[in-house]
Amino acid sequence: MSLPPSLRQSVTPPELELIACQQLVEIVPLISMEKTAFISGAYGPLRPPHRAKIPIWMAVNLKQKKKCHIIAPVWLTVEYLQQKLTQETTQAHFTQLPFRFAEISRVLLDVASDDLQNPDKLRTLLKDLREARQAKARAGLENLEHSTLGLSNLSAMEINEIRPFFIQAMAVLGQLQPVFNKDRNTV
Amino acid sequence: MVYLPPPQLASSSRLSYSDAYANILKAHRQSPLTSAASVIILVAPDVDALCAARMLADLFKQDDVMYRIIPVSGVAELERVRDELITVSELHTLILLNMGAILDLPSDEWFGDFSTKMSVHVIDSARPQNLSSLFGGGEAGDRIVVWDDGGAEELEEERKAWEALTYEPLPDSDDDSDQDEEPEPEEEDEDDDEEYEQRSGKRRSLGDGDRVGKRQRVEKERPRRMTHDEHDMYSARLEKHYMAGTWHGQSAAGTIYILATALERVDNELLWLAILGLTYQYTTSRISRSYYETYHAIYHDEVFRLNPPPPTGDNAMISLNPDDLSVRATEELRFMLFRHWTLYDAMLHSSYVASKLGIWKERGRKKLTGLLAKMGFSLLQTQQPYSHMDMDLKKSLVTKLGEIAPEYGLVELSYPSFMRCFGYRSQPLSAADAVEGISALLDVAGGLRMEVEVEGSRNGGEWFGGGKLWEATGGSRDTGRRKREERENIPPAGAAAVSNKSKRIGEGEEDEDAQAEGTKEVQWWVKNFWTAFDALSDIVPLRRALNLSMTVHRAIIEQGTSIIDKQDIRTMRNHRVVVLTQGPHLALFSHPGVLSRLALWLVDALRDRLPGTTVSRRTKRKSLPFVVACLNESMQSYIVVGVMAALDFGDVRKNEFGLAFLDAKERCNARTRHGSFDTSVLEINQEDLKVFLETLCEGPDA
Repeated sequence: MSLPPSLRQSVTPPELELIACQQLVEIVPLISMEKTAFISGAYGPLRPPHRAKIPIWMAVNLKQKKKCHIIAPVWLTVEYLQQKLTQETTQAHFTQLPFRFAEISRVLLDVASDDLQNPDKLRTLLKDLREARQAKARAGLENLEHSTLGLSNLSAMEINEIRPFFIQAMAVLGQLQPVFNKDRNTV
Repeated sequence: MVYLPPPQLASSSRLSYSDAYANILKAHRQSPLTSAASVIILVAPDVDALCAARMLADLFKQDDVMYRIIPVSGVAELERVRDELITVSELHTLILLNMGAILDLPSDEWFGDFSTKMSVHVIDSARPQNLSSLFGGGEAGDRIVVWDDGGAEELEEERKAWEALTYEPLPDSDDDSDQDEEPEPEEEDEDDDEEYEQRSGKRRSLGDGDRVGKRQRVEKERPRRMTHDEHDMYSARLEKHYMAGTWHGQSAAGTIYILATALERVDNELLWLAILGLTYQYTTSRISRSYYETYHAIYHDEVFRLNPPPPTGDNAMISLNPDDLSVRATEELRFMLFRHWTLYDAMLHSSYVASKLGIWKERGRKKLTGLLAKMGFSLLQTQQPYSHMDMDLKKSLVTKLGEIAPEYGLVELSYPSFMRCFGYRSQPLSAADAVEGISALLDVAGGLRMEVEVEGSRNGGEWFGGGKLWEATGGSRDTGRRKREERENIPPAGAAAVSNKSKRIGEGEEDEDAQAEGTKEVQWWVKNFWTAFDALSDIVPLRRALNLSMTVHRAIIEQGTSIIDKQDIRTMRNHRVVVLTQGPHLALFSHPGVLSRLALWLVDALRDRLPGTTVSRRTKRKSLPFVVACLNESMQSYIVVGVMAALDFGDVRKNEFGLAFLDAKERCNARTRHGSFDTSVLEINQEDLKVFLETLCEGPDA
């Protein structure tokens, strides 16, 4: 999601990534830890080899120090994404995907690719999904009008990508609107 | 202090590596204001120490220990750093990598003055080790921890001798003890002369005090004194330990790998770095082939333990998928960087092939093409870059070489080694190539104008005369951008300052200002160190460094062949001496690392053509002592490197040049300086060279 500086009027992708990392993910810890209080809440205790749910930021930290193994979320598997991809390419509307799937999948693939099954196939599928959805988003923008824009099942990154554009476009359309009516009234 | 045995020899009463490491962690966690200066790692500028530093850094990062890495180029630099560090009060762990084994660390000149809470860990592959560091006890000695590879177990006799000579009073006869004290000063370190004089002075005064003051008490309290014979025996023992010459033990990277195994935290990264350390020791003739094979077997098992079974057939040499970071075992040929050059070039530039076939003569080159033709490689194929050669030729290369090369006298062309895949970012890289790249970066990444060949410039490629200037910062794009950014950020008046600064950041241009040159001189090896450190973990700069390494090798070959052609090798008594005073690559060879490589190349090239000579007064084994000197015009001095080579390929001899240099320097009063930790490298004033060489070659008996 590369935005030229002129369009950078909203949240940047790294910020979205940070927000996404608040979500919980399941891990298999390799060290033990008592129930510890953090700012966002209390997590733990970690008792290997039992699984535990901790925020992604903490899981990434532990993983980089080789102190845990991250378990892939349900949707980050080849079968699930393959299924979604076929749905995406056959239907006209967007398929249901986790809201922040792009950020979470990127983080997990960067840090824990050895814990995931078939990571390069996952990368290919995610890329295909993005391209299919991008095509649909472009097509949907043709229906842009001044008051509402309905694109359901869009993910956080995709919304963020088109938000600067459609806000400005809708503003311009809104300005054009009363002029059109005034013209009609005078005619 | 008490040295640390490796974990397999440890028991509950004897600590080992993991206990020392746990102590470091504990000290770090207990110090109230843990700052970044509490754990400091001093690293010598060679590939082995670099790998060990990287491994330690990774282990520390995983344990949340803040550390600092400081590169140190030589003993003088170590002294300077030591003086700085003595003021740092939070320092509680100092780790020395590939330096300090021969230094008497508990003494006051080194670390005797530091606080008792501080500990010094010495992880050094150089042998022999200083006995007071190993065995010294007491408050000063307890701070020094030497991580040993098991070799110190066999030093029982030396330990007794050392303890006897240090602690027990000397024999009290009036007439002989003066002479008895003479051998003792010589048996200590082989370092700077000030230390030498100081030590002998101290020794004498200690001995005198003991003798006079203790005589009365000794007669009453201890019924047994050392006899003269025992004293002589002990002194001889210690002398033998120190005077046998220098050799190398387990690599520093290997030691850290054993630590990681004891902590059960090994992974592919650490294994790869340990392999690099071992390969470096082997390719620079620091260890013999049999020693290499012992360690290789260990790493081979580790590779199989940690990696999925390697693919066979067509996929054996490529990465399977973008996340493939596995290490695989391969057979490595003795040709330098052969996968990145043309096959013909690689064989031409390999010292072993050069020596057997006599490459510097036209006849020898014909033999080489004949050999290649016999193996079924057409001339056109061998002149292609290796990656463009036919696949079936590449696969059959090793087997064909094994069959046909012995006819030409080339045996033992391959040795078992490893290679690593880097996903799809690059072709798999072999350990030897990686070592070559890193050492090229360490030696010449900055501070010299190096022209690097652009691929495709031969055979009428697109860029005629295609040489590109080497830039360590990642290509002209980066430096150009940096220069532009700098110009933007400074006020208009500072344009002149910017242009000066950017000139210095880029390649090393000759700077008239002596002071600027001084700072540049100090910093070029620090910059090189960090460039090489970064390249250890990032494949892209490492790949680029291979081009640089090829340039260095080409220069070495050119110089070497011209030396042999011009018959520049003088025989002075037992030694062969080469003095370089002119040539296109003089600036390049004033670096000790590159000069040592030239010396090794010459030794390999001339191995069969020169008879061995007996140089050492101890053993009767023949060896090939070689001394190479190169003029450094800007500093008005010569860099001298001494290499003691064995007669057989793959064998090593102990290098006695450290002692020989000191000896010769004593006798002819030359002005010299030991610039690096390697005692066989010396810097000497221009005028003193001739006299020095003559004294050196006369030998100590003259």
